[in-house]
Amino acid sequence: MKRLLTILSIITCQLSIVNSQTGAPYIHDPSTIAECDGRYYTFGTGSGGLISEDGWSWHSGAERPGGGAAPDVMKIGDRYLCIYGATGGGLGGGHNGRILTMWNKTLDPKSPDFRWTKAVEVASSDGMEDQDAIDPSLLLDPATGRLWCSYGTYFGTIRLIELDPKTGERVRGDVEKDIAIDCEATDLIYRNGWYYLLGTHGTCCDGVNSTYNIVVGRSRSVEGPYIDNVGRDMFHGGGRMVIAAGDRKTGPGHFGRTVINEGVEVMSCHFEADFDMSGRSVLGIRPLLWKNDWPVAAEAFRGGTFEIESERRGYSLELAVDFVRMEQERQRFWQIDPNEPVKPLPNQTLEEVIDKWPEGNIPVRCSDYMFRPWQRWTVTPVPEAGGYLSAPYFRIVIEGTERALSATADLEVTTVPQFTGSPEQLWRIEQLTDGTFRIMPKSIPGREGTNTRYVLSSIADSTPTLAEYDFGSDNSKWNLRNH
Amino acid sequence: MKTILPAILLGIASAALAQNPVIRDQYTADPTARVFNNKVYLYPSHDIMPPAAQQRQGWFSMEDYHVFSSENLTDWTDHGVILNQENVPWGRSDGYAMWAPDCVEKDGKYYFYFPDAPKSGRGFAVGVAVADSPEGPFIPEAEPIPGVMGIDPCVLLDDDGRQYIYWAGGPMRGASLSSNMKELDGPVTQMEGLPEGFKEGPFAFKRNGLYYLTFPWVRKEGGTETLAYAMSTSPLGPWDFKGIIMAEHANRCWTNHHSLVEYRGQWYLFYHNNFFSPRDDKRRSVCIEKLAFNADGTIREVTPTMRGVGINKATERIEIDRYSSAEKAQTAYIDTVTPRLGACVTLQGKGSWVKYEGVDFSCLDDAYLTIGVSAVENTSLCVREKSAKGKVIARIDVTVKSENGTFRRDMSGQWLTLTAPLQHTPKGITDLVLTCEGEAISVDWLRFKNRPRYFTEVAKNASPAHPDSQGFIRRWRMMTPIAVDVRSNVVFTDTWLRSKFADELAKLPKRKARWYTLDSENYNVKLFRFAEKYGKQTYGSFFWCETVIDCPQDIANVRLACGSNGASMWWLNGEEVLMLEGDRRMVEDDGMSQRLTLKKGRNILRTAVINGPGLSDMCVRFINEKGQPVTSFTVLNE
Repeated sequence: MKRLLTILSIITCQLSIVNSQTGAPYIHDPSTIAECDGRYYTFGTGSGGLISEDGWSWHSGAERPGGGAAPDVMKIGDRYLCIYGATGGGLGGGHNGRILTMWNKTLDPKSPDFRWTKAVEVASSDGMEDQDAIDPSLLLDPATGRLWCSYGTYFGTIRLIELDPKTGERVRGDVEKDIAIDCEATDLIYRNGWYYLLGTHGTCCDGVNSTYNIVVGRSRSVEGPYIDNVGRDMFHGGGRMVIAAGDRKTGPGHFGRTVINEGVEVMSCHFEADFDMSGRSVLGIRPLLWKNDWPVAAEAFRGGTFEIESERRGYSLELAVDFVRMEQERQRFWQIDPNEPVKPLPNQTLEEVIDKWPEGNIPVRCSDYMFRPWQRWTVTPVPEAGGYLSAPYFRIVIEGTERALSATADLEVTTVPQFTGSPEQLWRIEQLTDGTFRIMPKSIPGREGTNTRYVLSSIADSTPTLAEYDFGSDNSKWNLRNH
Repeated sequence: MKTILPAILLGIASAALAQNPVIRDQYTADPTARVFNNKVYLYPSHDIMPPAAQQRQGWFSMEDYHVFSSENLTDWTDHGVILNQENVPWGRSDGYAMWAPDCVEKDGKYYFYFPDAPKSGRGFAVGVAVADSPEGPFIPEAEPIPGVMGIDPCVLLDDDGRQYIYWAGGPMRGASLSSNMKELDGPVTQMEGLPEGFKEGPFAFKRNGLYYLTFPWVRKEGGTETLAYAMSTSPLGPWDFKGIIMAEHANRCWTNHHSLVEYRGQWYLFYHNNFFSPRDDKRRSVCIEKLAFNADGTIREVTPTMRGVGINKATERIEIDRYSSAEKAQTAYIDTVTPRLGACVTLQGKGSWVKYEGVDFSCLDDAYLTIGVSAVENTSLCVREKSAKGKVIARIDVTVKSENGTFRRDMSGQWLTLTAPLQHTPKGITDLVLTCEGEAISVDWLRFKNRPRYFTEVAKNASPAHPDSQGFIRRWRMMTPIAVDVRSNVVFTDTWLRSKFADELAKLPKRKARWYTLDSENYNVKLFRFAEKYGKQTYGSFFWCETVIDCPQDIANVRLACGSNGASMWWLNGEEVLMLEGDRRMVEDDGMSQRLTLKKGRNILRTAVINGPGLSDMCVRFINEKGQPVTSFTVLNE
């Protein structure tokens, strides 16, 4: 019966993890995720926005006056700059759009400091041009400290302007530059010497039939040209796909990039319709990978049964138990009768080995992967345990058992015979920009607060431990392989 | 170097600078204008908000100098900082006392005179910095000019080769300056014959053999500064006081400080007010007015205006609140907290108007009007030529409350950018009058814009065209678009399109619609703009386009590469070769035909593009087996 409950709970978990984000993440055109006093915020078309305490569960409550479409919000110094289009991009009106900026000391509407400054216009389109000034986004160029904004929609061009990061106003004398056509909800990002322009193509606002998708071009200069993977300029409609429909969700739009740590990045967007949430438009947060300096949205991590393979040596995380040999009727290769039919050999089963395992905590180590029961880990979300930016916490148990991976007070890892849900048995699992994963306990026994520092790490080829995360070291990285 | 080009500035700071104040991105005061190399160079003080390091808060604060130049008194180029207090060897690096300067040219060198707080001692000394160019770099001398303790230096170059320096701070004084321009070579003389009352900021010049000493002057107890002047037949006086050049500022801005300069036959008065800092008169901004002399050499009093001097191009952003004259109109800061956002004018109802003089329309071609307005009720206004009853250039209907529209329900009280077509395009330089034709309306700015050229009509006998360097075919015969009832492009399935295209193709021979032969100015043929100009409606349009491709020989194994917004079908010599279905955006090489042969001689390429909402366009070229565009053919115009 207990086993059945476990299975049921796993099924329930799997259903909930299908959600893009949990709670009530209903939004269209989410701004790049902003952090304020330990909470996450994103603002959408209309006047409101979403708040999350942990980055996984979202609810409404953020406030932004001014209405209109597709804002972006960025922390600059100790203030937040909000940029938004005051109009609707041809919906119920013409194409004379206005882009405005305003500041706030906090994003928390309950804070006494919460007060938006008077919005200032930084760009407009007059309705006669091949341009519609909506859907702005911000880039604070880490290379130069200059503040850039791209804006525009399907009606004509996407434009680039420069703002003053001190005032949020347009830089005097700045001349807008056309950098793309036919996109919506663009975003500019910078990484590794490249500027990237992300734009949304396809059909918006058509629910389960929306073909919205996010494409990208890149340039060595913020002013472009933004060229795609086949050498086509985004000014000629080019773009390489970053994310399209899938995972029972259609219409990803309005890209935003958030760097959590070096090598730990996520992208935010909305999906026009989440098939598991009545086809509503919802917030999506996905790991962001970089392949040959191109951004690629990874699948949401949902768990499963895996080898946990170290990137350091390629050894597999396993229980430190006796290697149990399998019996095999050996045939020397020169004695093989080619006419004898082949037959599959069974895998070693848990039942064949589990009786030999000790009762209490069993330490872990890394060794050659032999797809044996002590090397197979089942990773399942624990929705009631909260989450982090993109996903809920997971438990990691030996397949078919409740034996759970756990952090220890002296910064080591072990397994406990029974998963109890205590925070050192909960794991934050994030796909890194190179496709590997980092695996981080929610807390370290005896230490206050949520752990964001120590990750599962290879201190030696055979020895896992907890160590500070270092993207520059393969010791911090793991592959989750089901094979 | 930062160029202030009004025509390209957008947003709040983007005033055409013909209006007062002339420099809008920083405070400027105490303007000395000089003509060097046929340009006007402006050497003002540079007011800033007192930094925390400055002892006396709320006081004047100036740490450096910029220089600006202009050839038309309208477009000013900021050449940046020419001297900072930290670079003055004898000055305090935290003095914030870089007050009113002057600059003169002698024998190819430029001598910049400036007051500063000396490291030792109290008060001010006057230094000189030398450059080879009016834009600097200016190298300051190691020590200030001995014997000149004070502020507001001004140097007069006499036509006998001598030069004199004047300064204030205590009684106004002057002295002969040695030919090295860096030291006095005569006694310090107190200026005699000037009226009682506080005086400073001397500006001396010579005109028609007479010497003028002009200066800010407080003529009444408890009053503020006027600009006044005296005349003499000798450079150091005694002086004959003549009266006022400009009266006190109406808003009690305490200081004024000025210079007079003749440029291209017209005299100008440069002065300052505190327009961008109405509640703090120590942050000031430079203005310009025309100035005239009477036959006897006396100066006609100048009335400060908002309009200032210079001619605006119609394509510049014209701050209409800087008007020349008005009836029942009121100006106010757009945001009293942020004066630098400028002002607007409110026309208070029918019959009210503002006139703005000196706008040059010769730069307009195919233009429309853009205007920044705010209204509480639906109303309208007209832009007219010359007078309140003049010919209507454009009429702007302002709808702030409309029945429908998801995003634009009530726009009353919001600043809106509106556009209007021109009913009449004035010629040359004329005056604009805005007349209110209904309820009250506030106007911030207006600007005429030339529309981009999208197409050029091709004459019957024109020579054949070539594909462009990327192979795009830009010459097309295009039929007046057919209106179709398509509200959304999501209906463009293969079956729907095939049926529609077949239907239209069958009707085509009977269509009486007009065809235009056009060269597209862009690689992409902007069908939306074609429809706008030649059709009845832009959205919900069906376009037929044809072109004739003339090949010198067979060109085999090429593909037709197309992109279209929205769906399209393509025929070569009557054979269907490609269809782009669905809600398309135009993408270069979005779809390609199978391999084709362009035969020697004439080939007819035909396309139909259908689009609901969106900015309809297409791009098309031929691509060879190597992926290169084909350009070895010509495009005929029949």
